[in-house]
Amino acid sequence: MTTVAADQEDTHHHPAPRKRRLPIGSLEILCVLLVAAVVFQDQLASLLSSEQIRTGATKFVAVCAQAIPFLVLGVLISGAIAAFVPPSVLRKVLPRRQALAVPVAGVAGVALPGCECASVPVSRRLIQQGVAPSVALAFLLAAPAVNPIVLVSTAVAFPGNPEMVLARFVGSLATAIVMGWLWARFGKLEWMAERALRRLPDRDGRSRWVTFVETARHDLVDSGGFLVIGGLTAAVLSVVVPASWLESLSGQIILGVIVMALLAVILAICSEADAFVAASLSMLPLLPRLVFLVVGPAVDVKLVALQAGTFGKKFAFRFAPMTFAVAIVCGVVAGLVVFGGVR
Amino acid sequence: MKRETQNILLVLLGGALLKIALNGTYLRYVKPGQQAWLIAAGAVMVVIAFVSITRDVLAARKPEQVTAAVDDHGHDHGHGIQSHSTWLLILPVLAVFLAPPALGEDAVNRAAGRTPPPPAAEYSFPALPAGDVVDQRVMDFVDRAAWDKAGTLNDRNIRLTGFIAHNGDSTYLARLAIGCCAADAYPVKVKLEGQGLNTLVSDTWVKAVVRYQPGTSTKESRHVPTVTVTDFQSVPEPPDPYEY
Repeated sequence: MTTVAADQEDTHHHPAPRKRRLPIGSLEILCVLLVAAVVFQDQLASLLSSEQIRTGATKFVAVCAQAIPFLVLGVLISGAIAAFVPPSVLRKVLPRRQALAVPVAGVAGVALPGCECASVPVSRRLIQQGVAPSVALAFLLAAPAVNPIVLVSTAVAFPGNPEMVLARFVGSLATAIVMGWLWARFGKLEWMAERALRRLPDRDGRSRWVTFVETARHDLVDSGGFLVIGGLTAAVLSVVVPASWLESLSGQIILGVIVMALLAVILAICSEADAFVAASLSMLPLLPRLVFLVVGPAVDVKLVALQAGTFGKKFAFRFAPMTFAVAIVCGVVAGLVVFGGVR
Repeated sequence: MKRETQNILLVLLGGALLKIALNGTYLRYVKPGQQAWLIAAGAVMVVIAFVSITRDVLAARKPEQVTAAVDDHGHDHGHGIQSHSTWLLILPVLAVFLAPPALGEDAVNRAAGRTPPPPAAEYSFPALPAGDVVDQRVMDFVDRAAWDKAGTLNDRNIRLTGFIAHNGDSTYLARLAIGCCAADAYPVKVKLEGQGLNTLVSDTWVKAVVRYQPGTSTKESRHVPTVTVTDFQSVPEPPDPYEY
């Protein structure tokens, strides 16, 4: 193999002295893994004879089959932005003042139909194209919650309570805008991993299509693994956490709100479906269920894993708890205003 | 991780998605509408990987362009931890390869009881179609039993399709309803009453003709209606195991 085959870890811009390394590379490990999987197929399959593992495995594949297409859509959009939208255009479209650009980006989230997995690579791309992080983060939080598909499915799930749609829209948009402003005021760039901020080099002669494919490929390989971590966590939790949790909540608003918020985080249901889950929990009043719908698309285990992978752990450990708190407050306030009280 | 390994993982994962989408097993995990998305996503992954492999091979053939090719991806490579996570892409590939079955009894008993959401106040259930035996989805049956004030289910023979689930001494005919994918599945079930139900094997699919016992779908029963079984036959698992 020539230098093209060199491990990425070893590929530096400046010629560095090459480390001596074992002749075993990732390609060989992959081959061994695959051969082992074929040889021990029966043993692997016997894992599924345990009911718990079987249920967990089905849920894991389900999360992957549901989320990966949206991630692919996200990386394609991200690739298209990198290849076809020059940073100058984005600068012209968005208001110069961050305080104004944040709500604009939040409302722009309406245009990206899909679940939360699609918006993570897109917002990183926006940052790399020179959009202020606060603005890109507002987009990240708004897009999965305020797009038409999600709002329509909420309306379908709550036939008797059309005000739920408005409350959800307001609560989620408010979460996105507040988080954007908070970041603009207090956020520090050094919390973000250096890789998330690195500007794309000029295309120096490469065709736009090459940039498109390479960016999409890179984003996919990068975030795919984290999506898998998230899916795995959600599957394990859904099997391990006892469902009897919800039993005694019916009368207690404050506890109900907190538990539903936590449930939104650990269940990691995609935003197009969470309304149906919330609708089926009809022993609870509307307010806790609204909080479930506002928190879910903004922060859940799958999303935190994706964000940690995309923007770095330092970022995710600050951003996720803050978003969690802000989303609860925004959800409760939106509910009190739109429903006119606790319902 | 090497570029080649990443590309191979992408081909494997894309291939796995295409496989479940084309052979129909995707219905164990997601809704029918997801098929087009799965095919598109699988195809995109495979194409991206092959474009990248082709470019690498071409670049390797022309030594004078090697440096440029390395620069292409040298600028955006990951650092340590980040690129290790890519290994996890092999997990969904292996999981698809093992093809876990659709959710069954275990998922039904694990889930919390859920009340079917009440319809809008002015809504009234349409009359059931005429006929001696009427087919109904379990979901609709449970809905009607819970909220239909006009009692359209009373004295009617209804045929339900679902699988057998035992919990304690009770035997249920159950179905899982999904909103988006199997991860958000919740059970809908009716409690069966009749002879010899205890001997039925869990997770066998059946078509049962049942009669609703009026007044059994209450808050106390968690809106799980009790039905009398009048006829009963085993059927193969339907290709599409969930209700939507």
